[in-house]
Amino acid sequence: MDSLKIADRVFNSRLLVGTGKFASCRIMAEAIEASGTEIVTVALRRVDIENKDDDMLRAIDRDKYLLLPNTSGARTADEAVRLSRLARAATGINWVKLEVTPDPNYLLPDPVETLKAAEILIKDGFVVLPYINADPVLAKKLEDAGTATVMPLASPIGSNQGLKTRAALEIIIEEANVPVVVDAGLGLPSHAADAMEIGADAVLVNTAIATADDPVKMAQAFKLAVQAGRMAYNSGPEAAGKKAVASSPLTGFLTDE
Amino acid sequence: MSVLKINGTEKVFDSGLPATLAALLEQLDVNAETVVAEVDGRIVERSEFEKTELHSGQAIELVRFVPGG
Repeated sequence: MDSLKIADRVFNSRLLVGTGKFASCRIMAEAIEASGTEIVTVALRRVDIENKDDDMLRAIDRDKYLLLPNTSGARTADEAVRLSRLARAATGINWVKLEVTPDPNYLLPDPVETLKAAEILIKDGFVVLPYINADPVLAKKLEDAGTATVMPLASPIGSNQGLKTRAALEIIIEEANVPVVVDAGLGLPSHAADAMEIGADAVLVNTAIATADDPVKMAQAFKLAVQAGRMAYNSGPEAAGKKAVASSPLTGFLTDE
Repeated sequence: MSVLKINGTEKVFDSGLPATLAALLEQLDVNAETVVAEVDGRIVERSEFEKTELHSGQAIELVRFVPGG
């Protein structure tokens, strides 16, 4: 597969994987391996003083995978900036998946606060990958502000609904000069392939892998779907039409005309 | 009496405060290698844990990476 460049780093996989909701450390590590991903997202939380054995991320080989901290839990730009700086202190790297989600029901990202946080973080030297609604104008504003990608949602996070925002995603993909990573709501490998076929540069999947009966097998299925979707996109798919177009010749079949 | 507010909860140290942030983590049995700290809103890098002296009344935040999407 052709490589993906985000900021100054080149990746061979176009599948980003979230580490949430896995039943165990071991299954998470095996699923990450099976997915072929090179970027895994993590969150930042207070240490549970009463339960010190909550360090699930020991299982992730940091030489092999880029840890991409997110700012989940942030409801304002200020909270997201604070979380980003803590994450940078923890990883020593300056990449952050920026998410500001004040709405607890649909976890939809706040466009105003996200743009505000992105501007602050970029000035502070961060490589910013913002999670956004599929809003082409916002995507452009973030790109102009200097974000490394835009990460529009396919449907509400964890909803497994697939590409509900297709029309807007297509506009974002057409107009973007930074990689478009379709994030959230991809519930099946076919959804991921769908996103790649319309020209997304990458996808991020978490729930659909982590909550499958067999997360390791599902991770592999997503890996193949992303590869297939990308290959199809690069092959220049023909547009859909209303009428039938015969695949076999219709003339000269045993009749004289 | 020595008090620290750790992750939003006040903790009383009857026999005196741990001298440094590193000592506090050891006393709490928290693996320092996976933790980032804020003292009164200021981020303390892991390399500074040994040098960061603690004083009664400070607010300490201890955070670490957890699984997430």
